Amino acid sequence: MRERATGVDLSVELCGITLSTPLVPASGTLAKEALGEVDGVYGAILPKTTTPAARVGNPPPRVAETPAGMVNSIGLQNPGVERFMEDLDAFDLGVPIFVSVAGETVRDFAALCERVSGDGRVAAIELNLSCPNVEHGGLTFCAGPAAVEDVVAACRAAAPTKPLFAKLTHEGVVGNARAAESAGADALTVMNTIPALTIDAKRRSVLVRGGLSGPAVKPIALKAVHDVARTVRVPILGGGGVTSGVDVAEFMLAGATVVQVGTASFVRDPGEILAEFSAYLREAGMGAAELTGALR
Amino acid sequence: MKFHTVEIEERRELGAYTLLSYRWPGEKVEPGRFVMARAAGCPVTLDPFLARPFSFYDFEDGVASLLFEVRGRGTALLDRATETIEVTAPLGRGFEIDVSGGRAALLGGGIGVAPLKILVRELAARGIAHDVFLGFLDNRTAAVAADFPGATVATMDGSAGTHGTVLDAAPDLTAYPTVYACGPNAMLAAVKDAAGPEGLRQLSVEERMGCGNGSCNGCVVPVDGGYVRSCVEGPVFRAEALAW
Repeated sequence: MRERATGVDLSVELCGITLSTPLVPASGTLAKEALGEVDGVYGAILPKTTTPAARVGNPPPRVAETPAGMVNSIGLQNPGVERFMEDLDAFDLGVPIFVSVAGETVRDFAALCERVSGDGRVAAIELNLSCPNVEHGGLTFCAGPAAVEDVVAACRAAAPTKPLFAKLTHEGVVGNARAAESAGADALTVMNTIPALTIDAKRRSVLVRGGLSGPAVKPIALKAVHDVARTVRVPILGGGGVTSGVDVAEFMLAGATVVQVGTASFVRDPGEILAEFSAYLREAGMGAAELTGALR
Repeated sequence: MKFHTVEIEERRELGAYTLLSYRWPGEKVEPGRFVMARAAGCPVTLDPFLARPFSFYDFEDGVASLLFEVRGRGTALLDRATETIEVTAPLGRGFEIDVSGGRAALLGGGIGVAPLKILVRELAARGIAHDVFLGFLDNRTAAVAADFPGATVATMDGSAGTHGTVLDAAPDLTAYPTVYACGPNAMLAAVKDAAGPEGLRQLSVEERMGCGNGSCNGCVVPVDGGYVRSCVEGPVFRAEALAW
């Protein structure tokens, strides 16, 4: 619809899935209550990460504003995979649904992949590898290539035919990307939030210890995407601080096939970001799919 | 989240608070709902990055108003806005109004008086008898009470009204079939306790928010078995739902 309206070809292909636009929500930034605002904007829907059992999440405060961004510590609050799957139709906007999963062990991840891959409504699975790995002293699954390889290989075996995206943090991203690709990931999501801390000086207490997102992190994310794109052959879902249509173009130029919009959707209408991106393409005389890696 | 640029109708100081009103051509504003507002937003400014949540203070003839206290840079910029601000459409769940419910007590603490003005307007329009009790730190913050004719006032420093908390100035709340309150969590928990379990008890919470539309899961309040988002499940809750 937007294609016809703008005369620009916004479609891209990711792991054999055609997306009407290259924008996808970053996991954990789009509630089902807000779906009405984004109809026609995103090429796929990516709900908040689900886990084997329900998680109540962290006590408040959970969010703190920072210059050009925010720090959040939600603690993966979700109703658990069974209730999540019961409710999955709520996310049906007529575009593919990607499901984000996280476990505390390799076995958790594999079981989640097996569970959700059997459902025809799930177009692809994103592995949220930034959660603590309880079998390795609480380091995340992104702690190093060996951990990444273990978990991705187990998920690959559990969901042999479903497209699998490994979501990586920026730290050690090149080595982890290589490991994820060799273990069978079909695509890589680069990047997650950056570990950060905010302090309330007046109360002399920690305000929020969590992950930094928003425009402040964009240059770090762009470099991570650029580095990974030059290292692996699998496609990249790039993101981190994407706030404008030009930001979308920058991530695609750096090597992303799909671009995730997260925190910016709290402060802007994502439809405006898509409209700006369309305007960029029109001026460049290019279709969205031609932009990936098209740095001069 | 969609933001709309709206024209400022009036800005005036009410003691320590600012009253900012703007033309709202959209849907009627219901008592207890809130709005995310900012002086200017993306892409004009990335810092402050987030909009701020405000309960509606009033709504009449297409003019909505917000009451706030300058606490940080977001509210300082709003306080200095001269021509326009940016707002979302009204958000969240407001107060339930039960016309058969009998006399209502309304309790506000500090800036938590904000949603009571529009609630008083609605109760009066529906012919529901009510009593208003307002608690403040001092007479500067208590200046807004002039906007609530007949309200009983308390201040912590005794500089206006009863010396003490809003509950010190209120009679036995268990006698009221309906109780509405807004203020800091400690005050709301005390109101819940004082009002008892019988009748309709509704509390409007004030939480730090990221998005305002349920997406970020930042503004949670505790309920039995976990947390719920105050922006979509609230900001007005039945008192019995909150695990305080």
